[in-house]
Amino acid sequence: MNTAHPNKARMPVYLDHAATTPVDTRVALAMADVLRSETGYGNPASTSHDYGDAAAALVESARAQVAAAVGARAAEVIWTSGATEASNLAIFGVSQYYRDRGRHIVTARTEHKAVLDPCRELERRGWEVSYLLPDKEGLLDPGQVAAALRPDTVLVSLMHVNNEIGVVQNIAAVAAICARHGGAWLHVDAAQSVGKCPVDFASLGADLMSLSAHKVYGPKGVGALLVAQRGEAARGRVQLAALQFGGGQERSLRAGTLPTHQIVGMGLALELASRLSSMETARVAQLQQRLWRGLAAIGGVLRNGSATRSVPHLLNVSFEGVEGESLLAAIRPYVAVSTGSACTSALAEPSYVLRALGRSERLSESSLRFGLGRTTTEGDIDTAVTVLTREVGRLRNVAGAMPVA
Amino acid sequence: MNYNELTRRYFESAANVGELTGAGVFRGAAGSLERGTWVQFDLQINTGAVSAARFLAFACPHTIAVSAWLAERAVGHRVRALLPEGVHELRDRFAVPVEKLGRLLIIEDAWLAAAVQAVEYRG
Repeated sequence: MNTAHPNKARMPVYLDHAATTPVDTRVALAMADVLRSETGYGNPASTSHDYGDAAAALVESARAQVAAAVGARAAEVIWTSGATEASNLAIFGVSQYYRDRGRHIVTARTEHKAVLDPCRELERRGWEVSYLLPDKEGLLDPGQVAAALRPDTVLVSLMHVNNEIGVVQNIAAVAAICARHGGAWLHVDAAQSVGKCPVDFASLGADLMSLSAHKVYGPKGVGALLVAQRGEAARGRVQLAALQFGGGQERSLRAGTLPTHQIVGMGLALELASRLSSMETARVAQLQQRLWRGLAAIGGVLRNGSATRSVPHLLNVSFEGVEGESLLAAIRPYVAVSTGSACTSALAEPSYVLRALGRSERLSESSLRFGLGRTTTEGDIDTAVTVLTREVGRLRNVAGAMPVA
Repeated sequence: MNYNELTRRYFESAANVGELTGAGVFRGAAGSLERGTWVQFDLQINTGAVSAARFLAFACPHTIAVSAWLAERAVGHRVRALLPEGVHELRDRFAVPVEKLGRLLIIEDAWLAAAVQAVEYRG
């Protein structure tokens, strides 16, 4: 294992698979085949010639792959540019369509910004939003949802797997509550779920589900919104107002020429993920245990989120006695991870997810999210543990026995 | 965040970390864990000059690097109730973002808390 300062040509160990994943070679080849194809470049909406038909066939084949991977019907798949657009379409689309029925939405404080920011925007437009607070492990009690529902609630939006701490919410129980309510549709952000835990759209009972390709070894720039076509007679099917216009594609819910090669990539990526899922999850679970054992041995390391109700691909930990920016700077040459701070500015903001779990500002800032994946090896884990052990020790030495405020 | 070469070098080496004890040692500290930045300097004075300097810091890489540089720079120079180099010069030397200027002021406070005592000592 080489943990000496890497030369410039050497990249750090990649442990940020929750942010994005490398494109699977098979996926890249399939996409390249489409781009090089003598017929596949047609516009899938062009039904007047064979070029369009060839492209449309590729799109529909990928739609079937995605549907099969997540227990949905092909007709329930609406292509988008990614999970963020899918969540925007779900939230704005439902709120717009049902605005005369009610203007109340339920979500959680630990949701991804792709859900929270649309909710904030709706608040600015006059909607009311209830933000549920999970317990210290990041889990919601479905009873909290039941208690938050009102006669004018039109949407509940919750994530399946949390992107920072990996906890898995009890979506099926929430779906049952929403169905009993009758007027509240359930949107689920499942961007972090596919390939990491079982996802079955039909049995989960969600009405809408956001999917991403690039979290599952597919390309960036493509995703999907699942829109349930089932529906009890009394409740009917969920309806959406379109957000963009100009061509009528995707049942007029998402206008725009479909990117055939991206869609083909997503179809294959999700098929591979569903095929490899159980095998890969078991392997990743062993790696995660190895990582946690190694980090815990450093001392003063706290695990964020439930250890038992989470996917093994994510491990989020806080390091006591270490300043967050220095920790990230110290390990950056060796290990690529995400920090508990949103380093979008010179002064980092502590993670709102960890703060919602009750972690202090300091511990939130000194947290790291390790995202394990298909390319992760035991050697990668050992490198991370070695580097963290050395650098946390060094920074604690620099800090000395500082006075606690 | 990007750091210039000097910042990275002094952050990574962090020489002169620690504490000093004994006669002629003066300690100053500023900031707090709660604020996310805490710095402590120990200056050892011998016949009016700094004979040794150490620092501790719970802080960002810029703060650690500047503190390490100051501790190194001070040795052999006459102690004064001033930073060895002004805050604005330090900001330029270490390419400290303007948003972090307050952290340099914490360094200055910690340094002066030790240096003022040392100036009065004149041992």
